[in-house]
Amino acid sequence: MTIAVRNRTLAVIAATLGIFALVVPMFAHHGTNISYDRSKMWTSKAVVTEFRYVNPHPQLFFDVTDEKGNVTNWGAELLPNPAQLIKNGWSKKRSMEALMPGTVITVTIAPSKAGGVVGLLIKAVNDKGEELVPGGGGGPAPTTP
Amino acid sequence: MRNRFVILIVALVALLIFSLVIVAQNRGGRGGQAAAPAPDNRPFNAKDLAGIWSRNSNGYGGGGTCRDCGDRGFGNNVPPFTPLGQKMFDANKPSYGRALGTDDAKAHPEEHIGRRRAVPPANGTDLYQSCNPQGVSRALIYPDPVEFIVLPDRIVQNFEWTYSWRTIWTDGRPLPKEIDLARWWGYSTGHWEGDTLVVDSIGHDDRTWVDHFGYPHSDQMHLQERYHRTSYDTLELNMWIEDPLVYRGRWNADVKKFKLLAKDAIKTPEGWTGILEDLCAPVEDVDQFNRRIRDPAGGVLHK
Repeated sequence: MTIAVRNRTLAVIAATLGIFALVVPMFAHHGTNISYDRSKMWTSKAVVTEFRYVNPHPQLFFDVTDEKGNVTNWGAELLPNPAQLIKNGWSKKRSMEALMPGTVITVTIAPSKAGGVVGLLIKAVNDKGEELVPGGGGGPAPTTP
Repeated sequence: MRNRFVILIVALVALLIFSLVIVAQNRGGRGGQAAAPAPDNRPFNAKDLAGIWSRNSNGYGGGGTCRDCGDRGFGNNVPPFTPLGQKMFDANKPSYGRALGTDDAKAHPEEHIGRRRAVPPANGTDLYQSCNPQGVSRALIYPDPVEFIVLPDRIVQNFEWTYSWRTIWTDGRPLPKEIDLARWWGYSTGHWEGDTLVVDSIGHDDRTWVDHFGYPHSDQMHLQERYHRTSYDTLELNMWIEDPLVYRGRWNADVKKFKLLAKDAIKTPEGWTGILEDLCAPVEDVDQFNRRIRDPAGGVLHK
């Protein structure tokens, strides 16, 4: 291994650890985390059907279409509550406008350990690449639904 | 050579940050950890507790605690239970702590079992999950802001999360000799011992829990809180409970700390300052969130 390659490897390790340190401290307000499986996260295009900006956790409902054309409506809770979203600059008006029914987004979901069509919203991104209502904990999405 | 050294330092710093986070979580903290702020050396009156105090130094909801403010548990040195206490403890199924039966739970025998038995909220027995009051000790431990409103004859604590109101009478009245009807927020009196505000309370409704980990208490519990303002922006809280029906001996809490928030630290998008109305409303929490998300996520389906 050359010095340059070794340096690059070390830099990648350092950056990864740094990012991990930043994303790990996100925790739920209402005992939420225990219900979801972060080892089975998936990412998919989705169409928003409903968004609720309420305590204890806002909720996003959306349709996911599989390769056969079957549509499934999912529900997901956000980790941040409205107070945290406000702190992050996501007022109710901004959030509701960004997640109006019919909006096409890309979601990353940690599904329920019990199965079914509910999960924890890890990340939502619009078609411009902007992360919406952030604070979900981030992390990779290794599989699809 | 120099580049390699810099990269190594960056890697070590990142590892150190990561380790601190993990250590903090393993102590039972379920909140994001903010960096410890620099000491505030401004002059202060130790007997003036008015203001918005928070164990979550960013001042907003979400359950994060500042690094040295203590976790969400009352304390890890739990006294032995009485037979009734054991029965009550076993009946409580919390959703905070390490998940019941997991390798993670087994890997931490140094933690009391109360911190290693969490189940999904849908399968738990936490009345708080359906908007019932937290009770005093649990609300104090909850890492969101609490405003101390100081009046001539009482101190009112207004807890941001659940927007709940607790009264500490400082008019010299004694605690009731007998309690006819226990209260969700108990009966509280306060007096000063030097620079320490000592608050005694009894008559707590036994449906509340001591903390998020489901430790029980009876309506015979005596809670004492001792508040000591140690700097302009730091309030230290020591607590204990005695409950002969449930515990064989006094349970001393771990020290909790609060940081003083500026009046305008919490601000809505339109610029309205002051603690938020961050309450739990059954029409949202029970009728919507629990039915549509929380319960299905725990395998409990509603028609």
